[in-house]
Amino acid sequence: MTSYILRRLAQFIPVLLLASLGIWAMIYAVPGSPIGALVGENATPEQIAAITIRLGLDQPILVQYWRWLVAALHGDLGQSIQSREPVLDLITKRIPATLQLGLAATLVGLLVGIPVAVASALKPNSLLDRVLSGWSALALGVPTFWLGILLILLFAVQLHWLPSASAYFPLISDPIRALANLALPALTLGLYISGIFSRFLRAALLGELLSDYVRTARSKGLRERDVVGRHVMRNAMLPFVTIVGLSLANFIGGTVVTEAVFTYPGLGRLLIQAIGVRDYPLIQGCILLILLMYMAINLLVDVLYAYIDPRIDYR
Amino acid sequence: MNPTLRRLLSHRGALLGIAYIALLAVTATFAHLILPTDPLAQDLANTLDPPSVEHWFGTDELGRDLMTRAIYGARTSLITALGAVTIAGVIGVPIGLVAGFFGGWRDAILMRIVDVLLALPGILFAMALIAVLGRSQMASLVAVGITGIPSFARITRAQVLSLRQRDFVTAVEALGGSSAYTMFTTVLPNAWSPILVQVVILSAVAILLEAALSFLGVGIPPPTPSWGDMLRTGKGFLYEAPYYAVLPGIVLTLTILSLDTLGRTLARLIEDRQSAEDEA
Repeated sequence: MTSYILRRLAQFIPVLLLASLGIWAMIYAVPGSPIGALVGENATPEQIAAITIRLGLDQPILVQYWRWLVAALHGDLGQSIQSREPVLDLITKRIPATLQLGLAATLVGLLVGIPVAVASALKPNSLLDRVLSGWSALALGVPTFWLGILLILLFAVQLHWLPSASAYFPLISDPIRALANLALPALTLGLYISGIFSRFLRAALLGELLSDYVRTARSKGLRERDVVGRHVMRNAMLPFVTIVGLSLANFIGGTVVTEAVFTYPGLGRLLIQAIGVRDYPLIQGCILLILLMYMAINLLVDVLYAYIDPRIDYR
Repeated sequence: MNPTLRRLLSHRGALLGIAYIALLAVTATFAHLILPTDPLAQDLANTLDPPSVEHWFGTDELGRDLMTRAIYGARTSLITALGAVTIAGVIGVPIGLVAGFFGGWRDAILMRIVDVLLALPGILFAMALIAVLGRSQMASLVAVGITGIPSFARITRAQVLSLRQRDFVTAVEALGGSSAYTMFTTVLPNAWSPILVQVVILSAVAILLEAALSFLGVGIPPPTPSWGDMLRTGKGFLYEAPYYAVLPGIVLTLTILSLDTLGRTLARLIEDRQSAEDEA
């Protein structure tokens, strides 16, 4: 198992190197000088001289990339132009908020998506199936940001039950306020995720229900609940987990957008603010960190896949 | 009439989708002839008016007619989608064609690049590109277009791989057809259907991505009307003018749902046709 994880990790390295090259090269593609992009247009000559030496901007271009990469690997992502704080500090402050939102939304997605998929797969082409399939099309088709606005209008503006803007409270230390603030963003993103889950799990279940072993299980008199729960579900999880892995990119996009709707202080919102004021070191840092998190989750899905299916040889 | 087309038109959902998209496209194209109002004309005496006979969608914070802006926003959306899908197709289809037709090292190199592009979340890539290029309609269009390249490349490659084995392709090659001749006159014309489905699906993705970018404030810069930007501004007036962020959202959502239904129905019909051909 360990060597399987290591091998998957090794496969990420080329992608990560290429992506890091792209992220690093960003500041060279910005109109104007990279120094201007890094210290801001109003920098003093002293600051410019300092950054030139610190980043070795007088060095050959590959040496510059190498230095940036080594510094990044040591956790030095430079300094924010806007706040003059180290980029890594700004980012690490936001990570728990984004993770909390992501986990809560995934939970909503599972709680809604799995029952919908099972109910519609057991009675294919029935009225219930068509209603539920229409529902997942809706969950995927309605833009996350618009759904968020509708939920704010209902629960905050009309009913005054929940806040219209969401602050971050850690679930462990302040569960009540955390839930009140998390409910709407988690529901918004979670409903979208449930659309992905239900559509693909339904397809996976339908495929499995036609298999010979299902007929065998039924003909030997097994209860339908056991057929589905013990046999079909396990096998359907395989194609399902693959699809979930492939949909992760959509999760990331959904998180960025949801954070913007609810002015939730996560990583995505930090990135948007950074783009707004052209804070390039912060933009680079955010993109790099979001990409790293995305790849880490991807790896987790792969490991989960190997864990669910003992037939996969991960030696 | 083509049987696939006939079956598509007999599908109620798909028919509704086609009707809606057609209506949207026509009104957006001829907006300047149909609508009496200018999407940029301000009327500071009538700001944030609720929907009425004169202003069906109400007015915004500068007194501009929201329905006019929603229709001109359709123009922005459709142009972005058209441009983005064109970029994605013009680059993605040849990549898939070459990779699938020749295989070997060309396939390995091209698909590796496509995989890297596919491994990056589209919205993140688009935001990074816009951060570099600056905010403009062109930047959004290009950014959204590039994120669509991998799906075209993969679909085309898969299609070409299966066509490559067919007798008629072997026949053309045996008759001395050059690689380029075989690729463009024999393989490509037979690979169109799934590519067409991809055009429809990717249009929905492109419209959604563009709207998301504008909603985040990094897409098409104001005052150009765009759905994402209308929702972004409307969100600031949820208490004073709740219709502001709701009505343009309905137009956007119907567009996405129409294209999505159309794309999925087309995909199913083509799949049915192919399995029927395989059995024959």
